[in-house]
Amino acid sequence: MGHRVPHVTHYLTEHFADPGYTTLSGYRAQGGYETARRVLAEQSPEEVIGTLKNAGLKGRGGAGFDAGLKWSFMPRDQAGPSYLVCNADESEPGSFKDRVLMERGPHQLLEGILIPAFATGAATTFLYIRGEYAEPARILQRAIDEATAGGVLGSNVLGTGFAHQVVLVRGAGAYICGEETGLLESLEGKKGQPRRKPPYPAECGAFGRPTTVNNVETFCHVPHVFARGVDWFRSIGTEESPGTTLFGVSGHVERPGLYELPLGTRLDEIIFEHAGGVPGGRKLKAAIPGGVSMPLLPAGHLDVPMANEFLREHGSSLGTGGVIVMDETTCMVRVGCVISEFFRDESCGQCTQCREGTGWLHKLMLRIERGGGTEADLDVLEDVAGKMEGQTICAFADAAAWPVQALLRHFRSEFLEHVRAEKCPFPESFEL
Amino acid sequence: MLRITVDGTAYEVEEGLTLLQALDDLGVLMKGVDIPHYCWHPKLSIDGSCRMCQVEVEGVPKLQIACDTPVRDGMVVHTGNERVRKAREGVMELMLVNHPLDCPICDQAGECKLQDYAFDYGQMHTRTREPRRALKKRVDLGATIVFDQERCILCRRCVRFCREIPGTSELAITQRGDRSTVETFPGKPLENDYSMNVADICPVGALTTRDFRFKVRVWFLEEVPGICTGCSRGCNVHVGVADDQVRRYTPRRNDEVNDTWLCDYGRMTYQEIGAPDRISEPAVRGDAGQLVGTTLEQAVECAAQLMRTAVEKEGPGVVAALASAHATNEDLAALRGLLAALGSETHGVPIVTGPADALLIRPEKAANAEGARVAGFGEPGLLLDKIRGGGVRVLIVLGHDIIHEQFLGSPEALAALDGVILLDTHRSRLEQVAHVVIPARHLAEKGGTVTNFEGRVQAVPAALEPAFEAVAEAQVLARIASALDLSISDESERKRETD
Repeated sequence: MGHRVPHVTHYLTEHFADPGYTTLSGYRAQGGYETARRVLAEQSPEEVIGTLKNAGLKGRGGAGFDAGLKWSFMPRDQAGPSYLVCNADESEPGSFKDRVLMERGPHQLLEGILIPAFATGAATTFLYIRGEYAEPARILQRAIDEATAGGVLGSNVLGTGFAHQVVLVRGAGAYICGEETGLLESLEGKKGQPRRKPPYPAECGAFGRPTTVNNVETFCHVPHVFARGVDWFRSIGTEESPGTTLFGVSGHVERPGLYELPLGTRLDEIIFEHAGGVPGGRKLKAAIPGGVSMPLLPAGHLDVPMANEFLREHGSSLGTGGVIVMDETTCMVRVGCVISEFFRDESCGQCTQCREGTGWLHKLMLRIERGGGTEADLDVLEDVAGKMEGQTICAFADAAAWPVQALLRHFRSEFLEHVRAEKCPFPESFEL
Repeated sequence: MLRITVDGTAYEVEEGLTLLQALDDLGVLMKGVDIPHYCWHPKLSIDGSCRMCQVEVEGVPKLQIACDTPVRDGMVVHTGNERVRKAREGVMELMLVNHPLDCPICDQAGECKLQDYAFDYGQMHTRTREPRRALKKRVDLGATIVFDQERCILCRRCVRFCREIPGTSELAITQRGDRSTVETFPGKPLENDYSMNVADICPVGALTTRDFRFKVRVWFLEEVPGICTGCSRGCNVHVGVADDQVRRYTPRRNDEVNDTWLCDYGRMTYQEIGAPDRISEPAVRGDAGQLVGTTLEQAVECAAQLMRTAVEKEGPGVVAALASAHATNEDLAALRGLLAALGSETHGVPIVTGPADALLIRPEKAANAEGARVAGFGEPGLLLDKIRGGGVRVLIVLGHDIIHEQFLGSPEALAALDGVILLDTHRSRLEQVAHVVIPARHLAEKGGTVTNFEGRVQAVPAALEPAFEAVAEAQVLARIASALDLSISDESERKRETD
């Protein structure tokens, strides 16, 4: 397989069972903010960026872009402010890791923000959280207030002379605001619609200033990289994808939940060993590896290590690590219906292919599910998905097209069964 | 300058432009290099959302949208190969998935980009069986514009226009995905001095002007270049003529004058041309003191007689003229020529002023105010003093701006004159004191040149014949001169004749 099997470790969630960990004193009792203080006091921004690049930390928001490299894009010697943005708009169906990271370890996140903030020279971090996350927002605001009062944030961070503030901004409930430039638009008070690129945010981001946007979990890894070193971090996970990640397992499993495991852990191991397998002795049919926008994998392909370099060979991707498991009762056309309905609802509506294509896919799926489809409709589905892919301002249209393409690639026979029987052959499947 | 190659032809283009901008600047876009586009407009910010303008750039794996692809030195672009065609066909099909396809009852039919490109890139059948989105068909966005939500392709030109040109931002896209639509904010209708431009830039039949919709099918319109006469900007327009009537003005692009815009006030001045109060018949004051209809010949003779009598009695100094800032440079030259031939130097021009803005609208409410000044017609104050003092016996008047409240306010001051010879397009109280009334032609009916506030001389042809017998003022004045045995040809013409 080429990846190393590391010793089992979980550092992000190590103290999550301790309710005191959410408080400043509780976090400090576990050595919290000590790493940030040491890094800010003893290292230069260049050294910090160097360490982050060497660590090979990949972004955990879906695209898997190298975080250290992204931070290195920030211009250093520019007059005026630059910003960090923490993307807490966790909206991908199947994903719930950031919520737990914010609810159980808000100070871990703040410490994770401080280090790249120092390295990039950002004076402010906007923490953009999805509107539906009322409880995490409350917990985070309390942590921000506590950290500010305790000298962790503010004009003299941890006594190092570095100034930094964290501003919590709540979204209004749109998936597209998780796309980094859609987020920036929303942050600026505009309608959440992705921007044309270039310019990229590192050049012209929030309020026209250099900005880097990272996912909640990406930040949370940072203090651990500095606390225990690059070698330690790279000893976990795979060569290309070091570290652990939080796999959120949902659907037809005995123990749905969040599992912190090294990247490269096999998908079948996650489903059967950690999440307890499919209940009721039923057979597994398919699994989505990383949230609904990632192409699903049929039962025969689940021995894949969960890291982008391996999932890519199976035509899929790690996404946000949200694993959705479907057993044999599941109607794959209904799966197509719910996924395409989601994307139809959430398309921002700017680009023609996405606005019109998402609706068309959903209508076609519904018709096939209700027994009104034809064989030609399957070709239309494939064709429309193909026309949406890779031709729009942001990757949303791809995210809407890929699941449909994967369903047809792996379960075309089920679609044909619907067409020939003129009804759904899976009466026990979930209700639409 | 950079060198790019588009479909095998090399062009030199300026750095910093996108491909569509560069081709537009070269004047070849849609005139040799056909890159269909909806959301891109030369005078608005780049949107990049319609995805219609995709082209192939050698060395770049994905197709690129020409509106947002910067030109690079050595760039090689293919705008019409099979791959590009396929992509555009894909966009067209998706764009039409929810379109009502109600061209037979759509006012845009015939000048619709959706229709045009559908002929180029559309399919002859639809692959959808589901109902199309049902939205509102008639939404009043404001007093001037009616919106059909179903026909809208969400290119956002109208939204960007309101934000970027008048800066009023009345329009916004609400909802998202395939529920998106253009709306105004509650209690804030589309209400700015340029509102009707949104109908011009709407590439489909979604936005139409209340004034023009359902009036005439556009394929019956003959569009002739014209100049708006509303103010001294001299905005370039298309004069849309059908059945010998002007049905609309639409802006004609001139980046030096009006870009692609036209103010609502100026746009509606087309209505003056076919107005019921046009002076349509020559008239002379009869023995009973009433104006009596007559022929042009007799009106000209009557005018000549009035002038002849006055000159014989008191010399040429008692014949004066009030020019019009609505007249063409040719008319004004003829008037100067007639006065010079007579030996009179008494003249002036009233120029009515009104509100202005920083965009197009100028304070001087006539197309040729600057032309009148250049022709030597100054403020009318001295002439009015002379009239009041009894130093004028016969007055030639072009137009009736002199009785505007900014000048005389009423025709009474002219009542004591022996002769008032009025050459005018529209009826007014000035007729009450006129001894001779001769119908004049509107700019759109005679063509000619007018000089805008910046000194730009713009020439337009006649767009239509008036509904009645009328000749241009210059010809009327020439006939009067001829009746007086005077020659009014100017220096240059005389020189040409002798050459």
